[in-house]
Amino acid sequence: MTRTYRWALSLVLLAVVLVMISPILWLVSSSLKSSADMASFPPTWWPSQPRFANYTEAITSVNFLGAAQNSLTIAFISTTLTTLSSAWVGFGFARLTAPGKKQLFVVLLATMMLPGIVTLVPTYLIFAKLHMVNTYWPWVAWGLGGSAFLIFLFRQFFAGIPREMEEAAIIDGCGYVGIFWRIFLPQSWPVIAASVILSFTHAWGDFVGPAMFLSQDSTTLAVAMATGYVNDKGLPMNNLVAAGAVMYVLPVLILFLFMQRRFVSGFSTSGIK
Amino acid sequence: MSSALTEVRRSTVAETAVERPDRKKKPPTLRKARTFYLFVAPWVLGFIGLTVFPLGYAFWLSLTDSDGLSPRTHFVGFQNYVDIFHDPLTLSSLAKTGMFALVTVPLSILAGLLLAVMVNQPVRARGLYRALIYLPAVVPPVGAALTFRLIFDRDAGAANGILSTLGANPITWLVDPNARYVLYALVLWGCGGSMIISLAGLQDIPRELLEAAQVDGASYWQSFTRITIPLLSPVILFQVITGMIGSLQSFAPLLLSSGSLSGAGAVPQGNYLYMIHVFAQYFSASRFGYASAMLWLLFAVILLVTLLIIKVSARTVFYTVEPEGASK
Repeated sequence: MTRTYRWALSLVLLAVVLVMISPILWLVSSSLKSSADMASFPPTWWPSQPRFANYTEAITSVNFLGAAQNSLTIAFISTTLTTLSSAWVGFGFARLTAPGKKQLFVVLLATMMLPGIVTLVPTYLIFAKLHMVNTYWPWVAWGLGGSAFLIFLFRQFFAGIPREMEEAAIIDGCGYVGIFWRIFLPQSWPVIAASVILSFTHAWGDFVGPAMFLSQDSTTLAVAMATGYVNDKGLPMNNLVAAGAVMYVLPVLILFLFMQRRFVSGFSTSGIK
Repeated sequence: MSSALTEVRRSTVAETAVERPDRKKKPPTLRKARTFYLFVAPWVLGFIGLTVFPLGYAFWLSLTDSDGLSPRTHFVGFQNYVDIFHDPLTLSSLAKTGMFALVTVPLSILAGLLLAVMVNQPVRARGLYRALIYLPAVVPPVGAALTFRLIFDRDAGAANGILSTLGANPITWLVDPNARYVLYALVLWGCGGSMIISLAGLQDIPRELLEAAQVDGASYWQSFTRITIPLLSPVILFQVITGMIGSLQSFAPLLLSSGSLSGAGAVPQGNYLYMIHVFAQYFSASRFGYASAMLWLLFAVILLVTLLIIKVSARTVFYTVEPEGASK
């Protein structure tokens, strides 16, 4: 590869990165503008006097902390339960045999292609009938059911662990629950990490679930942010919207930057081809 | 698709499950079977309770005139399905959704593939490029939609700011007929997700193949179209299928305009996708029977589209390992 070619490629990539990152920069810039900055046309690119008070106002003018707490609770419930349950089921598919296993596995793979929202609305109607709307029980149920994709990931990982480990444990009188809990699960931390990131990001970002299942005063950040901030005249206060959005998006971005090596090269390879 | 997925499984199983002819006594097998059912039970129960049963319930609702509240609902047979095909709003929203999928899915995949090829070259700091291009794909949908609302705001938005520095007139982006371009831009912003998947596929291509082609005098373009693309085709097929499934049930325009499930009225006509109409029927009009029929129609459409893609691609997609059923 020639030098000029390499330079040109770097230049193109730099331009692409700038385009991809600029919306985030605009969000941050908007979050520091005063209402006067927001009203001026042509727009201010970067406020001359950053207004950090937007952040405190974004927290106080809606129930930001309450919504954040709900988001964290739901994310915690689904992350823990989904990961444990998926590992448990994945172990079954990887290490045990029984009639019907092959068919069940095909069904599992097929469910990955089911349209999620199509089942979500009727699930809401059923939970409403059971008076479990506005509680966290739906997330407990979804968590316990596991996720087809994560079950698949755990299955792949457990299938690669040498059989000798399991046999030694059986000779020592350990049952399969013990083998799973004491030998297999502690070894699977790369998959656990992937599972935690994926389920946390999903739960944190989910909009329809909480919008349907939770009332406005017990909802999550995703829903609280989507409806936005309005002043008493019913007009959106976009600088507060931006500040709230920055605080809402930040945890996910930080998680990503810490784990980006895994994100960018790790589990993307597994499960596709 | 599922055959593509099971391939990895087969190869890893083949490595680990070394033939063990001994130890074929009955009792342990029986116990093992019972333990297997114990282990898969959470997923099986979840699948029945949270997927099969709701789908069945929705089907039953779709045969009634339920409004979700009054206890007196009547069985109306397939009337709701007949109504769908006489409702121009429903049909046009379905057409818009198809259009949306046909535009955004190929564009995202192409952009992702192009970027993947670029960040797969030996350039300096390519890890950083990969991470930063992928970054928008992890921004939660609500955060992304809010950001685009701010960029395309009529007065305070960056888009019109750029136009005005170029001396052009500002555009009202978030209403018809321009709102659809904002929607396309929002979807394309996340093409880093597609890049990562294609990149993983590119890295799986054996280096020797490309080197051999180079030795034989193939140009870069030739080895790209004759080696890279065929070997990448399962990965592309995977993206086409998941992309279609995702965009057919997209409700992203709702987040771009009102940010509330009952706010379908605020969505510009050009962005009035099928799923938004479903939400409007459920949560604004309380037509539970009709909305459930709409959901089942969508389910059928997605199933048909998926099967069609698999069928059409069967001749063009190239598997390095024989797909399901060929061995074992």
